Amino acid sequence: MLSKMLLGRYIPGSSVIHHLDPRAKIVCVVLFMIIVFFANHWTGYLLLILFVVSITKMAGLSLIFLFNGLKLILILLVFTFMMHLFFTKGGIVLIDATLFTIESAGVVQGVYITIRLAMLILITTVLTLTTSSVSLTDAIERLCRPLKTLRLPVHEIAMMMSISLRFIPTLMDETEKIIKAQSARGSTFMTGSLKSRMNALTPVFIPLFISAFKRAEELAVAMEVRGYQGEAGRTSYRVLDWQYKDTLAIITVIIFGVFLFMIRQ
Amino acid sequence: MIEFKNLTFKYRAADENALDHISLSLKQGQWTSVIGHNGSGKSTLVKILMGVLTSYEGEIVVGGETLTEENLLSLRKNFAIVFQNPDNQFVGSTVEDDVAFGLENNGVEREEMVERVEAALDTVNMLDFRTHEPSRLSGGQKQRVAIAGALVMNPDVLILDEATSMLDPKGKREVLESLKRIHGMKETTIIYITHDLAEIDISDYAVVMKDGQVISQGDVEDIYKDIDALESSRLVLPFTMAMSKALSDGSYMSYDELVARL
Ligand SMILES: Nc1ncnc2c1ncn2[C@@H]1O[C@H](COP(=O)(O)OP(=O)(O)O)[C@@H](O)[C@H]1O
Ligand SMILES: [Mg+2]
Repeated sequence: MLSKMLLGRYIPGSSVIHHLDPRAKIVCVVLFMIIVFFANHWTGYLLLILFVVSITKMAGLSLIFLFNGLKLILILLVFTFMMHLFFTKGGIVLIDATLFTIESAGVVQGVYITIRLAMLILITTVLTLTTSSVSLTDAIERLCRPLKTLRLPVHEIAMMMSISLRFIPTLMDETEKIIKAQSARGSTFMTGSLKSRMNALTPVFIPLFISAFKRAEELAVAMEVRGYQGEAGRTSYRVLDWQYKDTLAIITVIIFGVFLFMIRQ
Repeated sequence: MIEFKNLTFKYRAADENALDHISLSLKQGQWTSVIGHNGSGKSTLVKILMGVLTSYEGEIVVGGETLTEENLLSLRKNFAIVFQNPDNQFVGSTVEDDVAFGLENNGVEREEMVERVEAALDTVNMLDFRTHEPSRLSGGQKQRVAIAGALVMNPDVLILDEATSMLDPKGKREVLESLKRIHGMKETTIIYITHDLAEIDISDYAVVMKDGQVISQGDVEDIYKDIDALESSRLVLPFTMAMSKALSDGSYMSYDELVARL
């Protein structure tokens, strides 16, 4: 189950989206995060969905694959939907039970907010799936370079991010292994009260932490012997090459945003 | 030529010396196996050589120059090391990025980097995987990428610290084949650390360690003949060796002799 998680993974490919400059992709995603809030009725939301679906297609990723990999996050979406369903009031009363009422505004709002959140998650997933963590952090580092004048350790932060992302799949695999081993010994994570489940998880987290520290230590030694001494004097294997198509991508997103803004009601 | 002279080292947290008066000299271009039980001090020895651990007693001489804090960084450039667990030594998120890491740190120009990365990946037969994610490779492939990352630095000495111990037989074979090719191609000095006696066959020279001390060293044949030392070393004797011991009066028989006898 965990190995199917898409968080922090990169899927090599040669799609248009893969080949965009990572800086352009980050800027587009940030713009999209703003644009998402322009939609305020069903046409807007429909367009958002269409936009994200076509980007997913352009990236050569299948939606089923994405949904399978984001199952855990689905819980978050359902939760959001429920919150609105029960707590947003207005419109026609649809269900009037003694304990709660569901009103039409709650349903509408629930659907809209859930779409918004889902589209944000999808678009960022497409970003991380089509961009290797090195390119991603490279891009963040370069986009944030102006912050260096404020004495922010931009390179170090970028390096930390890149390594954390790199280790997510490894630690996921490890978690899965430990869970299996503990289940084989009779631990139960899936049954019992919340407290007993929590207790059952302790023998998972402790070995996981120990191994994570051991890995970190080994990695630090490996980096040191390979000559890493921070940013000074480093060159970069990756060259970021801003092209015409990268500017075009940003313009497309802006146009989409402007359009969405104009059809607001 | 690498010489360890009377090297003694103690971890701050430990009561006993991890290395106890080690004296060794390793010749240029030689394939040396260092063998010893778990905790015998093999990793400590190479970590000192790499400058990861300092504050030892004794002396290390590399190519006539005594290792000091001042020349540590420049001497370290002659060495490259591959560790046991391939998952804990990758920095890059694709194979080629990872292989380039050491070059980036040394400020190598991009054009040169591209060539050297390609050559190194080619040597270990991993060129087709250059854009792959390291975490999705097999164990043997991962270690070959790690070796490429070491090789790309053009080291005089390539150290492998139990680099094959987590691999299945196939992965082990792949890695050993790459190593043989590298050893043959550039006469790279190889220090091959292992706890598996069966793996020292290919080496020119072998060093047996036990509890922080060197208890035997010499050509592989000599090591095999020194059955007493091997028995006391807490290592698992290979099947042929156990057989030959059982069949004879405790002296060593070569594989052929053993077959003839049987
Ligand atoms: N970081 C450390 N702190 C304290 N003791 C250590 C540390 N690392 C290793 N040791 C001890 O030093 C000895 C030699 O360890 P090591 O060189 O790793 O052995 P080997 O590589 O041959 O298995 C062992 O007794 C081990 O427990
Ligand atoms: Mg060791």
